[in-house]
Amino acid sequence: MLLEMKDASVNYGKVSAIRNISMSVPEGSVVTIIGANGAGKSTTLRALSGLASLRSGEISFNGKRIDKLAAHRIVGEGIAHVPEGRRIFPDLTVEENLRTGAFLRKDKKGIEADLESCFDHFPRLKERRRQLAKTMSGGEQQMLAIGRALMAKPKLLLMDEPSMGLAPIIVEEIARIIETINAQGITVILVEQNAELALGLATYAYVLETGNLALEGPADELHDNDHVRAAYLGV
Amino acid sequence: MGELLAQTALNALYAASYLSLVAVGLVLIFGVMGVINFAHGELFMLGAYGVVVFYADLQLSFFFAIAIGLVFVGLVGLGMERALFRPLRDNPLGGLVASIGFLMVLQALAAMGFGVRMEHVPPVTQQVISFSDKVHLAVPRLYVIIAAVVLLTALWAFLKKTQFGWALRASAQDPEAAALQGISINQTSRIAMFIGAGLAGVAGALTAPMVSVNPHMGHSVIVAAFIVIIVGGVGSLEGAVVAAVAYSLVHTFVTTFYDGVIADIVGLSLMLVVLIVKPTGLFGTADRA
Ligand SMILES: Nc1ncnc2c1ncn2[C@@H]1O[C@H](COP(=O)(O)OP(=O)(O)OP(=O)(O)O)[C@@H](O)[C@H]1O
Ligand SMILES: [Mg+2]
Repeated sequence: MLLEMKDASVNYGKVSAIRNISMSVPEGSVVTIIGANGAGKSTTLRALSGLASLRSGEISFNGKRIDKLAAHRIVGEGIAHVPEGRRIFPDLTVEENLRTGAFLRKDKKGIEADLESCFDHFPRLKERRRQLAKTMSGGEQQMLAIGRALMAKPKLLLMDEPSMGLAPIIVEEIARIIETINAQGITVILVEQNAELALGLATYAYVLETGNLALEGPADELHDNDHVRAAYLGV
Repeated sequence: MGELLAQTALNALYAASYLSLVAVGLVLIFGVMGVINFAHGELFMLGAYGVVVFYADLQLSFFFAIAIGLVFVGLVGLGMERALFRPLRDNPLGGLVASIGFLMVLQALAAMGFGVRMEHVPPVTQQVISFSDKVHLAVPRLYVIIAAVVLLTALWAFLKKTQFGWALRASAQDPEAAALQGISINQTSRIAMFIGAGLAGVAGALTAPMVSVNPHMGHSVIVAAFIVIIVGGVGSLEGAVVAAVAYSLVHTFVTTFYDGVIADIVGLSLMLVVLIVKPTGLFGTADRA
């Protein structure tokens, strides 16, 4: 397993956000976490990337415990997080945003090469490379957030609702981008409220309900599950 | 009249120079750490005492005394980051209160060490550049102007052209997203605090020969610097520089043609007008204010 989360619980103050969540993510897979508003999806990703600390439980990545590491160290282990709401740096240019993604890397040539390949993936970022990030459209900002995360050369990419607030045609584009990323060997954990999209992309899925793990299984099986169909697919 | 205007403009340029150095540091610290450093005027004061000790008393070179001021006050800034602001990171009000406490400690230490008398620092040079019979610029004032231009340009280049500069701006804009890129907030806070404190120290050191150095000298500087960063838009470095120039022009002209108290009132009124017309300041965005 590339990533294992065991019995993880996170609190915000006295309020419990997730309880005893266990997940296993095999290398090369796309795993999705679906759930309603406030179910604890973002909290789970935040625990993985070190933004939230565990109250109990453990996380190991590549066989190494990472649950005590600060967020800025976890990136160095190979986990990049595209946070909810994109969180690009508004007053940095597009190119500067991308380069911050490579902050910990020392291989200058590799960084330049990855910047070029990022511009190949996202031609619109190239056109706007000198523009301030805040002047871009929502879809472009989402692509920038993804590009920035890829600049860290991660083994595992955490994506928190990349389709949020985007037009259907852009959502399609994001879906294709996720497939491309995965085809390059990067493991993906995808959090989505758009369960149709997520179950279509993923091989395995977890369903969170009010902080608890309610269901898990291969994505196609969950897609046919009556409860999932009624609660998340609206059929 | 034209000569008086020209002379006053030169005086304003001088005032704008040291005020920019102080205000930009204050903005940098606020931007990266989200804390208002009330002790910033006392860092300015420490820089001035550095010149009293190393230049006036120990008779070392003036520029050496300034370099020591930069490094020593920068280190005091690092100490403040570690001891005050880091433990209080999630508590901006706590950081502000701690800095007020520290301001008093620094004033008391200065008074214990040097007494409350005014220290007079011998002039670095008596040279004066004369543009005409009535328009002069004393060379020590020129040093302040040059230092401000050089240091602010260097800071600008650091922020725009280097990787740590991006990191600093990124963590000022979104500390959590910056952490996700591997940027340590402790590290960017240290850099911001060292630079911000060092700039205040240099400003105090450079102006020491032209003012009376005393434990309370930070007060008037910090008031002006606060007006400047509010007018410029809290969080905007460019805004701080522009507002420092604007404020110094207004303040110096009013002082020259009316008097200093009216100049203070005009300065404060200007701040109020800006706050009413554009609450985020001239260059500010609503993000962090
Ligand atoms: N900073 C916070 N402080 C206090 N409670 C929080 C905080 N962030 C989240 N919570 C609470 O924790 C629970 C889980 O929130 P989380 O953001 O993980 O849900 P989510 O599944 O990502 O929801 P959404 O789909 O709306 O993004 C919710 O009850 C939420 O109110
Ligand atoms: Mg969420």
